[in-house]
Amino acid sequence: MVVDLAQNTLDGLMLGSAYALLALGFTLIFGVLRRANLSYGPAIMLGAYAATWVNLQFHSGALVLALVTIAGATLAGAYVERLCFAPHGRRSRSGEAAAVASMVGSFALWMQLEELATLWLPKHLYGFPPLYDGPPLALGPLTLRVEYLAMLACAVAVCFGLHRLLNRTRFGLAVRAVVDQADAARLAGINVPRVFMLVFALASALGGLAGYLIVAAHEQVTPMLGMWSTLKGMIAMMLGGLGSLPGAVVGGLALGLIEAHSQWLFGPQYRDLIAFLILFALLAVRPSGLWAMLRRSPAPAP
Amino acid sequence: MSAPLLEIADVVTAYGKIEALRGVTLAVAQGSITCLLGPNGAGKTTLMLTTSGILRARRGSIRLAGEEIAGRAPHDIVARGMALVPENRLVFAHMSVTENLAAGAYQRRDRAGIDEDIERLYGRFPQLKARSGQQGGTLSGGEQQMLAVARALMSRPKLLLMDEPSLGLAPLIVEEIFRIIAELNRDGTTIFLVEQNAHMALKVAHHFYLIEQGRVTFSGSPGALAEDEVIRRAYLGSTKH
Repeated sequence: MVVDLAQNTLDGLMLGSAYALLALGFTLIFGVLRRANLSYGPAIMLGAYAATWVNLQFHSGALVLALVTIAGATLAGAYVERLCFAPHGRRSRSGEAAAVASMVGSFALWMQLEELATLWLPKHLYGFPPLYDGPPLALGPLTLRVEYLAMLACAVAVCFGLHRLLNRTRFGLAVRAVVDQADAARLAGINVPRVFMLVFALASALGGLAGYLIVAAHEQVTPMLGMWSTLKGMIAMMLGGLGSLPGAVVGGLALGLIEAHSQWLFGPQYRDLIAFLILFALLAVRPSGLWAMLRRSPAPAP
Repeated sequence: MSAPLLEIADVVTAYGKIEALRGVTLAVAQGSITCLLGPNGAGKTTLMLTTSGILRARRGSIRLAGEEIAGRAPHDIVARGMALVPENRLVFAHMSVTENLAAGAYQRRDRAGIDEDIERLYGRFPQLKARSGQQGGTLSGGEQQMLAVARALMSRPKLLLMDEPSLGLAPLIVEEIFRIIAELNRDGTTIFLVEQNAHMALKVAHHFYLIEQGRVTFSGSPGALAEDEVIRRAYLGSTKH
């Protein structure tokens, strides 16, 4: 019983690492552009299919496949940005209508990319080479898959890397200025549309990295990867707190834990239902998410 | 006074169907302090935003040192030597004072020159130096105004545009802001100023324009007979200050 509980917690944290990685890219776009990119997952799916193709043709190694996934997701992300986000970014004064237009646009592209994937690919399900072929690690009675450990390490590394990028570089200064006061950033000489484009590309590349690690762990790619990535990334972002990078990691891990434990307690058919229930409950009580709650906890309760 | 640094000719800017500027023509002489006066809603801020590229002119020409800048992006205009201190200052509230200044130099690549300018501006604005690590949003209104001016100066502009620098500030701070404006001008920066406080503005300006309902209706030099009439038409109540 205790072993089960510990194993479930461990599984949840590992599954949550994948969600955390997905949420980081999603959060970067939301935090900077204040826009939800629903085509985030489908762009990742295209990158994964590009890597699948390269794998079938050339039987490349893990590093090449990871790079192809990242490049594919970045290209697809740039396509989404040009079509859905760039046209609605410039008029800072018509914020809400533009936000809706770009979100609906990204939903349309999601459908388009998913349709293209199902139309063009002769099979829907393709195998994908694992990152690591050996047996899982044994920690006493518990087991731990190396792929998930790599995800956790990447999620933490990406979170710290982004923090450094934002706080220590010229590009980071521009990003923070745009987030703080977009008009003042333009007046300071910052090319705001270009900053948006680069942030979008960076977020898509992070999505590609997450996508590679996930398909290498699942050892298969299906068109469902698109919807799955958008949903998990978005839910983890909302759990953690909109637009906060550490919040994305906390939210991802929390979602993984919730899923693992509810699957164990109530069975797999209730897993998503319970995850959504907890999301609704949390948003009703604390709309700012888990990270804000954690940060506030040292202070006396109001 | 020599050739105009900024020439605005027949500029029309509209929000949808409503024309806020209905053919504005004016010039800012090199080395001058030129002031734009006018009542609320006359189009003063619209002209500032159009000149700096935030709003797009529907028609007309804007020339900086002879070069057409209408239709160019704001960052491009900053790179050509013009900076705007916007209405309500718009400091970066969640960035430190030093980071605010660094952001103002975004178009520049000379790292050493940027650091030098930050130190120089800290010499000029000791209040800012004392708060260099503080976030912009924690500063008082007067300090924020100084930060907004210093941030604009970080791009080393030939022409500095200022939109209502005295807005919402205590009279003593307003005096200080205008002292700074006069100093900057003495050091060689041409200044184009929008002000509600015509009384103060006319003390420092070399030349002024009156804008009413999107058109320039009067221009002249302070001290001329028409000054009282201009102040009245700019609806100022500046004597109350």
